[in-house]
Amino acid sequence: MRLLWWTLAVVSISLLSITLSQNRTLDPLQNTSLTIAAPVENGLRELADSISDFFKGAFNRDLERENERLREEIELLQTEIATGEDAQRRAQELEEALGVKQGRPEDQFVVADIIAQDPSGLKRALAIDRGAEDGLDEGMVVLSKGGGLVGTVSRVYEDFAWLRLITDPNSAVNVVVLSEGEEGGSLARGVATGGLRGDLTLEMLPADAKIGEGDLVTTSGLGGNYPRALLLGSAKSVEEKPQAVFRKATLEPAADLSTLDTVLVITSFLPARLAGP
Amino acid sequence: MKYLVAFAGALSCAMLAASAMPSVKVLGVTPDLVLIFTACWAVVRGQGEAMVVVPIAGVLRDLTTSDPVGTSVLALSPIVLLAVARELRPVESEFLPALAVVASASLAYALVSMAVLTAIGDGVPWGTALLRVAVPSMLVNALFAAIVYPPMRWMSPRPKAVSFGVGSAVRL
Repeated sequence: MRLLWWTLAVVSISLLSITLSQNRTLDPLQNTSLTIAAPVENGLRELADSISDFFKGAFNRDLERENERLREEIELLQTEIATGEDAQRRAQELEEALGVKQGRPEDQFVVADIIAQDPSGLKRALAIDRGAEDGLDEGMVVLSKGGGLVGTVSRVYEDFAWLRLITDPNSAVNVVVLSEGEEGGSLARGVATGGLRGDLTLEMLPADAKIGEGDLVTTSGLGGNYPRALLLGSAKSVEEKPQAVFRKATLEPAADLSTLDTVLVITSFLPARLAGP
Repeated sequence: MKYLVAFAGALSCAMLAASAMPSVKVLGVTPDLVLIFTACWAVVRGQGEAMVVVPIAGVLRDLTTSDPVGTSVLALSPIVLLAVARELRPVESEFLPALAVVASASLAYALVSMAVLTAIGDGVPWGTALLRVAVPSMLVNALFAAIVYPPMRWMSPRPKAVSFGVGSAVRL
C-alpha cells in the first residue's frame, strides 16, 4: 500500500514539475543550480581533460598540441574559403539580377565558455555561462572559435543557456554544397540533420546533385534560422544509390564538437522566429 | 546521516555526469553514474531507503541537465519497484540481482525519458534510440555497476541475524 501511494505521489509531482518546467516557472531554480554547479563542473572538466591528455599523449604531447593547432587553422581556412566562395557567387548573382551589391552587416558576438554537457544519450546539448542578461535568446546561432557552426541556443536562463548542437537528433540545418569545379553553376541544396551517435548527415540532396568527398557544406540561409555562408563541415562520404530519389552524404563537422571550450553566439542575427512581428 | 551521504553521493555523480563523464564513451554511450549509484543503493539498502534516495537523485540530475525538472525523478522511479529483487533473493548472491536491477532500470530510464521527450515535443527516433541508446546503456551501466556495487556493499552494514529460537536464525 505504501508503495502504491509513493508511486502515485512521485508520478503526480514529476508530471507537475515537468509542466511547470515547460512553462518556465522553474527557470530560477535551474539558473541557481547551474550557478552553484558551474565552478565545480568547470574544475571537473579541466581535471578530466588533463587526465585524458595524459593518457592520450603521455609521450607525444607536443604532437597533440600541434595537431590541435593545425585543426584550428584548417577550420579557419575552410571558413574563409567557404565565405569567400559564397560571397563571390552571391555578388555575381546580385549584380546579374539586380545590379546591386549587397553587403552583410557586421556580426556581433557574445563569447561564452562551456560549463557542462548533457549526459543523456538522447540529445547533444552543452551549457554555456551566458544567458538572457547577456542578450541571448532562444534560436540564436552559435559558432566555434574557428567560425564553424556549432548549433543554436535552445534554452535560456538568466545567467546560463543550453545549446543544441548540429549533431543533435532534433537539429536540421538548410545547407548548400560548395562543390569543387562548380563555380557559378547550380548549387546543390539539402538538409543537414544530427543523429543519436553524434553523426551529421546531409539529406534531401537532389539525385543529380554534384557532391564529392571533401566538398564544403555551408548554411544556405533558407528558412531564416541561420545566416548564409556559415561553414558547417565537409563531406566525409557520399552514398551512391542510383535508384534513390535523394542523395545522402555523411558530413564531418568543421568544429570539433567534442573538445569545445569557448563558443561565439551571434547576437546580431535574429532567427526568423525572433525577428518576426 | 545516511540520507546526507546519499545526497552527497548523488550530487557528486550528477556533477561528474555533466562535466567529466561525457568524454567516456563505451559502445557509443556514457555510463549513467546517477542511475548506477541509485540502483546500487536501492539493492544494498532496500526499498524503504530507495523511496527517499530516488527523488533526491532525480532532482539533482534534472538540475544539472537540459531535461525538464521531474523527468529524471519519473525515469528513476522504477528502481524502487525493482529494489524488491533484494527482498525476493532469487539467487543466493546479491551481486547478480544488483546487475540485473541496474540493467532493467537503465532500460526503464531510457523508455520513460523517451516518452517524456516525445510528449514535450522533442522528436525521438524510437527504433534507433532503443537500439543505439537503451540497449547499450543496459550493458554499459551494468558493467560499471560491477565496479560501483562491491565498495558500496562493503561500506554498508550487513543485515543483522536475529535468532528466533534454538538452532534457527533469520536475516532481516
